[in-house]
Amino acid sequence: MNRREALFQISSLSALALTSLQARAAGGEIVVGAVYPMSGPNAQVGVDARHAIETALQIINAPTQVDLPGAAASGIASLGGAKLRVVYADHQADPQKGRSEAERLITQEKAVAIIGSFHSSVAATVGATCERYGVPFVCADSSSPSLHRRNLKFFFRPAAHDEMFSEAMFDFMDLQKQQGKKVETVALFYEDTIFGTDSSTVQRKLAAARGYKVAADVKFRANSPSLSAEVQQLKSANADVLLPSCYTTDVILLMNTAAQLGFKPHNILAQAAGFVEKAALDVVGDKLQGMLTRASFALDTAGKRPSISFVNNIFKARAGRDLNDASSRQFMATIVLADALQRAGSVEGEPLRAALAATDIPGEKTIMPWARIKFDATGQNTFASPVLQQFKGKDFATVFPTAVAMAQPVWPMNA
Amino acid sequence: MGTAAVSSGATQGVVAGYRVHRRRQVLSVLAVLAVLALLPLLVHDAYLRNVLILTLLYASLAQAWNILGGYCGQISLGHALYFGIGAYATSVLYVNYGLLPWFGMAVGAVLAAAMALLLGWMCFRLKGHYFSIATLVIAEIGLLLMHNWEFVGAAMGIQWPLGPDSWATLQFARDKAPYFYFVLGLFAITWVISFQVEGSRWGYWWRAVKDNPEASESLGVTVFSSKMAAAALSASLTAVGGSFYAAFVAYIDPDSVMHFRFSLLMVLPVVLGGLGTLWGPLLGAVILIPLTEVTRSYLGGSGTGIDLIIYGALVMLVSVLKPEGLVGLFGQFRGRRGAGGAA
Amino acid sequence: MNAQAIAQVLVSGLLIGLMYALIAAGLSLIFGLMDVVNFAHGEFLMMGMYITFGLFVGMQLDPVLAVPIVGAALFMAGVLVYLLLVRYAMRAEANVGMVQIFSTFGLGTLMQGLAQYFLTPDYRQVSGSWLANKTIELGGVFLPLPQIAGAVVSLLAFGGLYLLMSRTDFGRALEATREDQGAVALVGIDRNRVFALGWGLGLALVGVAGAMLANFYYIHPQVGGAFSGIAYVVVALGGFGSVFGALAGGVVVGLVEALTTLVLPASMKTVGVYVLYLLVVVLRPSGLFGKP
Repeated sequence: MNRREALFQISSLSALALTSLQARAAGGEIVVGAVYPMSGPNAQVGVDARHAIETALQIINAPTQVDLPGAAASGIASLGGAKLRVVYADHQADPQKGRSEAERLITQEKAVAIIGSFHSSVAATVGATCERYGVPFVCADSSSPSLHRRNLKFFFRPAAHDEMFSEAMFDFMDLQKQQGKKVETVALFYEDTIFGTDSSTVQRKLAAARGYKVAADVKFRANSPSLSAEVQQLKSANADVLLPSCYTTDVILLMNTAAQLGFKPHNILAQAAGFVEKAALDVVGDKLQGMLTRASFALDTAGKRPSISFVNNIFKARAGRDLNDASSRQFMATIVLADALQRAGSVEGEPLRAALAATDIPGEKTIMPWARIKFDATGQNTFASPVLQQFKGKDFATVFPTAVAMAQPVWPMNA
Repeated sequence: MGTAAVSSGATQGVVAGYRVHRRRQVLSVLAVLAVLALLPLLVHDAYLRNVLILTLLYASLAQAWNILGGYCGQISLGHALYFGIGAYATSVLYVNYGLLPWFGMAVGAVLAAAMALLLGWMCFRLKGHYFSIATLVIAEIGLLLMHNWEFVGAAMGIQWPLGPDSWATLQFARDKAPYFYFVLGLFAITWVISFQVEGSRWGYWWRAVKDNPEASESLGVTVFSSKMAAAALSASLTAVGGSFYAAFVAYIDPDSVMHFRFSLLMVLPVVLGGLGTLWGPLLGAVILIPLTEVTRSYLGGSGTGIDLIIYGALVMLVSVLKPEGLVGLFGQFRGRRGAGGAA
Repeated sequence: MNAQAIAQVLVSGLLIGLMYALIAAGLSLIFGLMDVVNFAHGEFLMMGMYITFGLFVGMQLDPVLAVPIVGAALFMAGVLVYLLLVRYAMRAEANVGMVQIFSTFGLGTLMQGLAQYFLTPDYRQVSGSWLANKTIELGGVFLPLPQIAGAVVSLLAFGGLYLLMSRTDFGRALEATREDQGAVALVGIDRNRVFALGWGLGLALVGVAGAMLANFYYIHPQVGGAFSGIAYVVVALGGFGSVFGALAGGVVVGLVEALTTLVLPASMKTVGVYVLYLLVVVLRPSGLFGKP
């Protein structure tokens, strides 16, 4: 044979050798996979996800004094105290790579479940892969409504999706209207990937249904060098409420450009994402005073629930920042998974799936403002009630729904 | 008379040597294909199989690109357009109208060929970098159009329904072997086409034009129509690759099939392996793709960028140490020159 | 939108167009000199931005004042890149231009990885610089100072480049080497030296662009991508090798991009730029000012 063929033989044989040297799930250890963007423009999300999940593991794997499922025990009690170990993989925002990594985690690392994955496009292929292998996929933070509507048995989403978030936002606007405030026109400002598309589709529908006029419908290319023309359209429309769906970089550019063009939105009601990221708030926080955003997580209610500050302190020590919308959901996904493992008493796909489907965790035993965690037939937690928060100073205050509010909302943001 | 006898003898020697060389090429590819066909029997790990499939896919795409870029000299930086056309045509026809992917593949190939002819007609008169940027720009327009066109799902993409394993729909839940054999077949086809092109009149014209630009004036229309044909061929093969990719991943969106990085990933293996050579694309793919995958998978999870550092450094190293392509390492260059005679 | 709004859109387009031009200037210079596609151009822009950020945070040096330092640093980087990498990649006997794609692509990826490793992927911004958040209003049209400054620096850079090319020995050597690489040795011009200095100058220009961009744009390891993409089109539109073409191309691209938002959804504004490029090269195959 010639050198070319030899090269093939050698490379495939050494690849096989590599496989057998991989750390296999040893006795007393349960491996879970996590697929996140670890490089590229959203790498920071992956870095924070890692910290969030590690925070959960710290609580699960050692006896911890906090009111969360699985905290008291060391590891998973029903599986002989086996410790949970998470292997992280980078999907680089590419659905094919996400699928490849999920498959690798399942077949090589023997992961019993997958957590992921921020980008909804990747969650689509990861979810399909998990379904094919009969391994549960806990979708921590991808919020596209289409994900749980594909008849997947192994898909579980503890957190809310875009329709639930946007409904809460419009409920709030309805309330303001009832109280006599001027809320007639809205402006949609959304980036052009799945996140922005999903969000704006729902918002457009709700605006029509609830009698709000859409004064501007601006779709922009994510990570553009300039947003001047787009912001000018918003300025010309001068809507009562700006409804933006942007990632971090575009939030920074949007607010800087708005300031440069002398545009101060009357109100901002954001779809979280970039608007609750430290990087954005550090640089344009001064321009976002009084902004409202939907949230999965209410840090300011820590006074009412000790577990919130307990967990936040651990996370902050690791990550150098507070828990936010995304990291809190990643944390909870891990807790939910551990709880299911405990009830299943098995790492096999079907028993674990059944245990997840039977999940019923009361809201007080979580760090979220949810009523409870209970999945419906499609795997969606319909009780993941979102809240609205207002940005004041450097913190967020929960202002809606009234039942859980910690402060009165200030409306309008800019007169 | 003496000189005539010597020269005719020398010519016969050259021709005979060339025929032997061509025959050796055919035997080589049969051997390589045989070895590759055995791989799924030796390698059972799903991840490794995935890497093998991607390697052969990119080898096929690179080989297809090489027809237009390496042999013909038209450097396209927008081949992702054809990849996307194949992926989208197949997906839309299957998901919306139930047309089996095999037929969708044919439709995609025809559409891509038509697009290539249009592009060629508009842009072949452009020289060098202007042509390349034009191809890049047209591919970007395609990407933006798909990103905003509701009919093909815009940013939401197209999800293939999960169904039972079947060759008809080219869907296999866990088994990767069928996919492997498909791309192996695709690679074999692209190789055979390249082989034919290399030995054909087209190949002769294009080499003449590359060596002597003034010759292009006199060969004019002939060369132009051969280039058009090469473009159509290259595009349709790329589209078939795209169709395969859509069936393989079962979910596509604009960024995942039409992004510039795909165009780049079709060109890099050829440059690494050797432009305008028969084995360059495969060689380049065999080195580049496993490297990309393995660095991301085993080093990327940390989020530190280590995988990018290693990948980038290795790519730089190869380009500095062996700029004309790695094919030269295997003596092919020498063999080709010796048998075919100096160009 | 009313006339004032349209005027605003045009002015903003013009200002960002001049930034595009400045970023493209270095690319055009290197292209024209040695037929090399610098696939790492965006990463050098990123490098310039990070250096500016570092100087601001570490030494409270305002970006405007940091411009000469960043320019000098990138100049040295350019010389090194040529001497240590490009020179060797150019030894290929065939397909020289293509091979550079490979070497500079690898360099770009390496730089992104290094940036992520040492600086983390977190987004940074220079906030509180001298120009930040300042804007002038003229007849209802807003002129943000950071962009104005960027535009002014861009024009000054082009002016300086013109003087350098036409009035100095080095400039003439650069021009001569561009015309005929082989012949210049006969008149005593060291080709390697000219190439190295050409790279230095080209990257110095993009470094200066980075310093001015840092005044109003966020910084992270992948920030170079969007800008360099547009830069390639600008260079091709203006004509490879024509520095003035880069200026004209940048301005045209900035304006067309802005105008396109008036007729197409903003997410498709670059389509206008791309269509323009195709129209131009169909009519003038060497771009606006390129050599035929």
